[in-house]
Amino acid sequence: MKRIIAFLIVLTVFCFSFTTAFAAGINANEASVLSNMRAPVSMNGNNVYIPASYINQAEANFNTIDMTSAQASKINSIIGQARAFLKGTGKSKISELSSSERQKLMNYASAAASVLKLSAAAGSNTKNVKIISKNGGVVVDDSNNVIKTTGQQQSPVTYIAVSGLAVLFILSAAGLIISGKKASAYEKKS
Amino acid sequence: MKKRVKIHNNVKKFLIVPVVMSLVIGAAAIAVSFSVASDALSIGNMFFSDNQVDYSKSFENIFVPTTNTSDTIDASEVEFPNIDKQFGELKIKGRDVDAKLFFGDGKIPLRNGAGVYAGSFIPGYGKTILVAGHNNTYFNGLKNVKKGDIVKINTSYGNYEYKVTDTKIHNAKSKKSYDLNANKENLILYTCYPFDTIGLTEKRFFVYADKISGPKIVGLYD
Repeated sequence: MKRIIAFLIVLTVFCFSFTTAFAAGINANEASVLSNMRAPVSMNGNNVYIPASYINQAEANFNTIDMTSAQASKINSIIGQARAFLKGTGKSKISELSSSERQKLMNYASAAASVLKLSAAAGSNTKNVKIISKNGGVVVDDSNNVIKTTGQQQSPVTYIAVSGLAVLFILSAAGLIISGKKASAYEKKS
Repeated sequence: MKKRVKIHNNVKKFLIVPVVMSLVIGAAAIAVSFSVASDALSIGNMFFSDNQVDYSKSFENIFVPTTNTSDTIDASEVEFPNIDKQFGELKIKGRDVDAKLFFGDGKIPLRNGAGVYAGSFIPGYGKTILVAGHNNTYFNGLKNVKKGDIVKINTSYGNYEYKVTDTKIHNAKSKKSYDLNANKENLILYTCYPFDTIGLTEKRFFVYADKISGPKIVGLYD
């Protein structure tokens, strides 16, 4: 009997070692959250959408997890509350929101993120959002523009070091010229 | 007096001349190796950094080359990368572009290669792939890219080819340079423009390419 059980365990391990399955793809729960995120919010008769960059980043994250139906239900409920709140402000655009209204919106984002054990943080102006995983990994980052700075940024230390070398070079060259002139003047005198 | 001349000659012989010669040779070496000052400064950055984090080492690599030539791959067989992970490599033959490919385009990816914007998608997804790289390192070779060139992206789940359809210069803030809602697989590479400028620039050089081969990820949605 023991041999049969051991054989079955080995067989199971052997079979699973052939195919590596990841928590990939968008399950029905994740799809419902994405669909909810894509739907417009009516603000004073004006349809406002969550930017594609946010939704795409959420989708990328959902591809690495398996959201349960309970989690999706909680997140969708929070999105619903956020919608109702935005509608109730009487404003027509997100940019018209006051800082306290932005903070409240941020609180909804934090509540939704915490369902997935993520934390949301905003910049001091609460315009930029960053969602971070438990281990500190960035999941969503809207604190930078879509198009990044791709020129080499020099550190101040580099500038100082390179400038220092240049100054040293100039001083050495000047010293050489001066001492050369002095030597030739002395030779002329003697 | 003779003693003074001797001391002067010794100083000249053993101190000033060697120092000046080393500086001249050093400067000449830098000038020969790197045509512009920005490149010299970039090299300087490797030695003189006020950043405590060593971005050149602190990343995870999930890229393992594959010979998969199938037209499709199931999503369950794809390890979707997290931000700052290397998941592939990007090459343009004959154009001096050969970089590690990361997910995310923050400091770690751009210090070590090219980075896919996390708000865009990975190859095979059927949507926009927006890739950034520094103009004086990994994406300097974009200046040589011409229409019809082939961009190769190798990942652990498949090897992809994209044909360059256009190159354009846009302002960094322009939203016309990309479409994150596109439902067609398209590759966009970009870097700062002009290519050999010191410091920050407002313009970006974009390379646009369409997918010509590589497995489509299927079973993404239940």
